[in-house]
Amino acid sequence: MSDTIVVDELSKWFGPKVAVSEVTIGFGPGVTGLLGPNGAGKTTLMRVIAGLQKPSQGSVSILGEDPRAHPGIYQKIALVPEDEAVYERLSARRFVELAARLAKVDDPPGRAQRALETVDLVGPAGRLLGGFSKGMRQRAKVAAALVSDPDVLLLDEPLNGADPVQRAHLISLFKDLGSNGRTLVVSSHVLAEVERMTERVVAMVDGRLAAVGSVADIRSAMTDRPRLVFIEATDNRRLGAALMSTEGVIGVHIEPSRLRVEASDAGDLAKRLPAIAVATGVGLNRVEPADESLESVFRYLVEGGE
Amino acid sequence: MTLANHLYRRVMRRGRLIGLMALASVPALTYWLSAYDSDASEAALLYSDILARLGFSYAIAVLILTVAILREERDAGTLPYIYMRPIGREAMALSSIGAGIAAALTLALAGWLVSLTAVLAVGAPLDTSWSGLAQYAAAGVGYAAVFVPLGYLVPRSILVGLGYIIVVESILAEVVTGLAQVSIWRIALSISADIGANQNPGEMLNSIAPGVGGGVAKLAVVLVLGFVVLTWALRRRDAL
Repeated sequence: MSDTIVVDELSKWFGPKVAVSEVTIGFGPGVTGLLGPNGAGKTTLMRVIAGLQKPSQGSVSILGEDPRAHPGIYQKIALVPEDEAVYERLSARRFVELAARLAKVDDPPGRAQRALETVDLVGPAGRLLGGFSKGMRQRAKVAAALVSDPDVLLLDEPLNGADPVQRAHLISLFKDLGSNGRTLVVSSHVLAEVERMTERVVAMVDGRLAAVGSVADIRSAMTDRPRLVFIEATDNRRLGAALMSTEGVIGVHIEPSRLRVEASDAGDLAKRLPAIAVATGVGLNRVEPADESLESVFRYLVEGGE
Repeated sequence: MTLANHLYRRVMRRGRLIGLMALASVPALTYWLSAYDSDASEAALLYSDILARLGFSYAIAVLILTVAILREERDAGTLPYIYMRPIGREAMALSSIGAGIAAALTLALAGWLVSLTAVLAVGAPLDTSWSGLAQYAAAGVGYAAVFVPLGYLVPRSILVGLGYIIVVESILAEVVTGLAQVSIWRIALSISADIGANQNPGEMLNSIAPGVGGGVAKLAVVLVLGFVVLTWALRRRDAL
């Protein structure tokens, strides 16, 4: 499937500070997680993609158009900015209606009502945004973004401040939108949430792309990092001694209640382990690959970038 | 219209508006006090003189209100909500300057109504006040065309605008002939001087001849320049 958002050799600098450096990437339909520590350039990349900031070098096109040159494309694009900024003196309903009117959609009040229903904000919709909690503001911003039914949705830390129930609701909403063919780019530093939304991630470190792909693919590509596996057995010490002489095992650490094994290939170790356990007369209680999670992959990437 | 209406309503906050209306009314209140014991013809002459010399308080009020049109959106981080909409940058520039003009005219009306009350109170002829309305309205249009783009482009736009009003408009333009020709306050003054029968703009006009036609033409040029600069800025400069 072709990419909806195409970023080509994009750099953005502010004076001597380079915020984004030579990024080339495409985002297709579905949800893509944009990850990176603070200062990695995620928000700048989002803003440049959204057309709010001009690339210092390179180009961005969304649905084949440069948003800065063709504002009409904003009929199909929406951004939920990271800042808490909202019109504090407007009610949530008027804020979303204003977004609908500016987006030139039919029946702005009706569209606003549906968008507010989507984010579960109909009850307090008459209250001023200035009195809203951070999580409620986030939902109002998401409603304002959804009111034009955009094909491309850029969400910069959209779950900030949302309570657990609302987080689950918004994650489910984003997944639904992605599975309906819309392109969603979601930046977040809460890795577990990104994991719940999507398998596809883009990791940025120091303004550069550190990795692109599924979590498993990225992990597999990191051949310089040993796989970490925790094993709980009936006799950890004896199993550890046996593993020390096993091909592909780089290190074995005996911890109080388990073994921490570093292997060059976790899959290969998993295949060999039952036979080794039988040969040494040890029972296996638990085998857990410890670093296949998004968080550990991301930690490796950040450490590698330093 | 939706965007212009939104921008206008956003800057017209009650507390700020009351303060700026009071500032815009300073010339009228000063006139009231000055012309209290004057006869009708003297009071009519004083009207244009005081409005011409103290009217810069109105210019400052317009500055504060009109630079806020887009600057507040930028500073508050809400600009993406209007920038990322399918609105041509020309239309956005027109709406912004239009909202600025509407805000300036609101202040003009308030300042003029106070001056009208003063004219009635001191017993000057009623038609004396028409020139004041023309002066405030023309200056408001010109200043909005300059200050709305300034607010978008410059972070400390109120300071820059104050420097312009105090140094260029009120001091340099009074002594430098070339600057007087492009001074918005004097362009407005040339319009009001042509309208009013009992006007005495005196040295304030410098080399400018009174004339509605010439003044309106100059204001049109200022408007076009403001529109072109703002459209360019919206297209070419970072919105955040």
